[in-house]
Amino acid sequence: MRTVLEVKDLRVYYKSIWGNYKSVDGVSFKVYENEVFSIAGESGCGKSTLVDGILRLIKPPGYIPSGEIIFEGVNLLKLPEEQLREIRFKKLAYIPQGAMNSLNPVIRIEEQMIDAILDHGDIDKDEARDLALCMLKEVGLPVEVAKMYPHELSGGMKQRVIIATAIALKPKLVIADEPTTALDVIVQKGILQLLKRLKEEYNMTVIVVSHDMAAHAQIADRIAIMYAGKIVEIGSIYDIFEDPLHPYTKGLISAVPSIGKEYVKGIPGLAPSPLNWPSGCRFHPRCNYAMDICSKIEPDLKEVKPGRWVACHLYGDRQ
Amino acid sequence: MYMRLQHKLTSLKGIFRTIFTIKSLKLRVGMGILLTLIAISFLEPIITHCRLGNINPYEMGLFEKLLPPSLKHPLGTDHYGRDFLSIFLIGLKNSLVVGFLGGSLSILIAIVVSFFAAYKGGLADIILNSFTNTFLVIPSWVILASVAVYTPKLNIITVSLLIAVFNWAGAARNLRSQVLSLKERAYVDLAKVSGASDIEIIFKELMPNVLPYIIVGAANAVIGSIFFETSIGIIGLGATQYVSLGIIIYWFLTMGLIVQGYYNIILPPVIALVLIFVALNLINVGLDEIFNPRLKKITGL
Amino acid sequence: MNEFLLELKNVTKIFKVGGGLGLFSKEVIKAVDSISFSIPSDKPSIVALVGESGSGKTTIARIILGLLEPTSGEVLYRGRSVSNWLKEDKLKYYKEVQPVFQDPYSIYNPFYRIDRVLELVIKKFNLASSQEEARDLMIKAMKDLGLRPEDLLGRYPHQLSGGERQRFMLARILLIKPRLIVADEPVSMLDASLRAIFLDQLASLKDKLGASCLYITHDLNIASYIADRIIVLCHGKIVEDGSKEEVIRNPLHPYTKTLIDSIPIPDPRRRWKEPVDLTTLESFKKLKAEKGCIFSSRCPYAKEICKARMPTLTEVKPGRKVACFLYD
Repeated sequence: MRTVLEVKDLRVYYKSIWGNYKSVDGVSFKVYENEVFSIAGESGCGKSTLVDGILRLIKPPGYIPSGEIIFEGVNLLKLPEEQLREIRFKKLAYIPQGAMNSLNPVIRIEEQMIDAILDHGDIDKDEARDLALCMLKEVGLPVEVAKMYPHELSGGMKQRVIIATAIALKPKLVIADEPTTALDVIVQKGILQLLKRLKEEYNMTVIVVSHDMAAHAQIADRIAIMYAGKIVEIGSIYDIFEDPLHPYTKGLISAVPSIGKEYVKGIPGLAPSPLNWPSGCRFHPRCNYAMDICSKIEPDLKEVKPGRWVACHLYGDRQ
Repeated sequence: MYMRLQHKLTSLKGIFRTIFTIKSLKLRVGMGILLTLIAISFLEPIITHCRLGNINPYEMGLFEKLLPPSLKHPLGTDHYGRDFLSIFLIGLKNSLVVGFLGGSLSILIAIVVSFFAAYKGGLADIILNSFTNTFLVIPSWVILASVAVYTPKLNIITVSLLIAVFNWAGAARNLRSQVLSLKERAYVDLAKVSGASDIEIIFKELMPNVLPYIIVGAANAVIGSIFFETSIGIIGLGATQYVSLGIIIYWFLTMGLIVQGYYNIILPPVIALVLIFVALNLINVGLDEIFNPRLKKITGL
Repeated sequence: MNEFLLELKNVTKIFKVGGGLGLFSKEVIKAVDSISFSIPSDKPSIVALVGESGSGKTTIARIILGLLEPTSGEVLYRGRSVSNWLKEDKLKYYKEVQPVFQDPYSIYNPFYRIDRVLELVIKKFNLASSQEEARDLMIKAMKDLGLRPEDLLGRYPHQLSGGERQRFMLARILLIKPRLIVADEPVSMLDASLRAIFLDQLASLKDKLGASCLYITHDLNIASYIADRIIVLCHGKIVEDGSKEEVIRNPLHPYTKTLIDSIPIPDPRRRWKEPVDLTTLESFKKLKAEKGCIFSSRCPYAKEICKARMPTLTEVKPGRKVACFLYD
């Protein structure tokens, strides 16, 4: 399997008068071609910052002290701005959180799509228009939508416009941050299925970032669990749900209510602050299985089985 | 941080403590200048008494006319034979008093109108809002000046009232939109289902959160008042029963004192006015800095 | 003793769109259309009101809480209309009917410490005769919920996390001891790991206080976890009403079926089988059919009669109601 994206030890810190907010503190993972790779975690774990970091959208007071982001063999962090622009949108598309609400309310849909396409593609205006209309059809929107304004569309329709725009130039990798939050359940299903279908049709790779474990269960191939700025577990979606290894993952899985499930259990305690991560393993204050070593030494993310990575002392030296 | 500020403002002690530990340099400087001006203007009776004995500074012909500055008359005398330092300080005091009185009255009217309109909603809101908008649109300065011509007694109270009547609309509009948005908050609903009455909700739930806007509105109202009062004074439509900086300027404009080079009379009111406006605007911007943290220069979050 | 704790009879709420008190506009929004359901008073129960956005569920909550007046229809609490309660015995009404709101951030007035939330109800409902007694009550309520008074009391809302704030609201409920709790999506803004704790504590109030709960949500997963009975809302109308097991396992109304099919199950082995047909999903903002059954524009079983007339909510089995011509 080819690796499309490899992130090595990425850190994103924010400077403040009280110290450094270490929002992303040493994250490494690989994303393979044509898969749906999910990044899951609760609020404050750093997943949105991670995506901003990968796309080099971090602005001061945020900065990237270390790490490598290898996309198609090129380290994105070392690229100058113009070359980055070439890659953005054409090869690497981004659907930010709440994108559907940031459509320009005074410009017609068609124009906005064409603007975006022209900005990054080397085609002329007529071709861009044809492409835009074609993409609208791809996502199941009637052609009348092109001449409408954003406020005339529902949330789900706006999100589909965003998706249509994002994949117009057939990028290799699409990163979607909370693509279905704030959408109704039936529309949510439609959007997630759409993403999966488009991925197959255009041979793209999709990274989905969300706190909704059920959504991940429905479309992901592999999933990474984030906690306190680090990845604590990576594995196939089946493995993670059926046999979670990390205690946080276990807690997360059992906390999701589902039809037919008798019993849900939360995780006691509070999420820690990026200003002051706990010593050793960051989850140890809330962990039922915490041992002595957990508060002292931070466990590394290790491949304990092929394709299964865990950062936990419970799986320390077992092979 | 802004929330913490609001908590400090709940007690009088808190207010004083906050003022003196305010982080905004602009606010501190502005308040410093203003307080100094207020202080020296209110100390006028003492200053006059010490230097010149028990005289009525308004009395004309006590001294020789248009004397140059000297030890006895640091700012010389004016064309009516009065000690100009005393007259100037009285004028300064009156300008400030009218400014603050007019400003306070106008913000009070604004608070009553906007809270009532926004909280009651419905017909009351439509009527009061149209009323407010009308006042915003009419050229208040022109009308104020015209009214001033026909008002028989233009003393400090009447001028302040007149100014307040024309100055409240801007703040009212601002406050109304704040109250409109705040009354939809869930904590207002929670207060309702806890049995709180409308009055309690307005004063205990809404008012504290509107306070920053009220304070800024008040600062603006004071600036507007002083501007109004001074400008009608300068063009000669001003008060007849008291001296103010605007009126002093009117005198030396009409008496040709500039051409004759009586800088001891020309400079003090002009400098004082500039200082007042600079101070008030610094306060305004400083308040904005405190209440709107995005304007603050931050190195971190 | 009235047999119903809460009874809604043909409640309708119409909002006029546009400024000027709506005097100058023709457009209206029928948020809630002829809603009727009841909650019995004999045994405390948790009834889930399930609907997507625009279904009118929050409007119903606000009407029951007396924050909104219905355009027509009656809302009876223990046999007496809510507007009558509010006019004559407002405090008594609120002693028995209390909300839990959705947004943990805006339910607190940022100006005051969180203690005030509890102090206000103790004062208004006369729950204590002295300051010490009030304090004791507050501490006990918090401990009952597993909250630490030493950590939380005396703080300002911005110093607490979202989960703590929502749970502190439950302490308020514990103090008032209402008979009916109207919970409007209380966990939708909380993290997954906190939801379970909150839901369990909310459910425990049923036993602790003997209180019934109207739980409003868009999430059928949560509804199936916490509720005894499920009422399904679509575009302001009730389409189905029945016990949780019945509605989930054997949904009658096509909308309910679509809803259940669309829930993401947190199990990769139970993935969605049927795709959603995007082209029929949304034809512009007007999803609601103009005439006839509100779901007829999207319903796979729609017949002629569905587009012409509105079906009524009929009882097909004891305790089981559905509004659909398929069952007429």
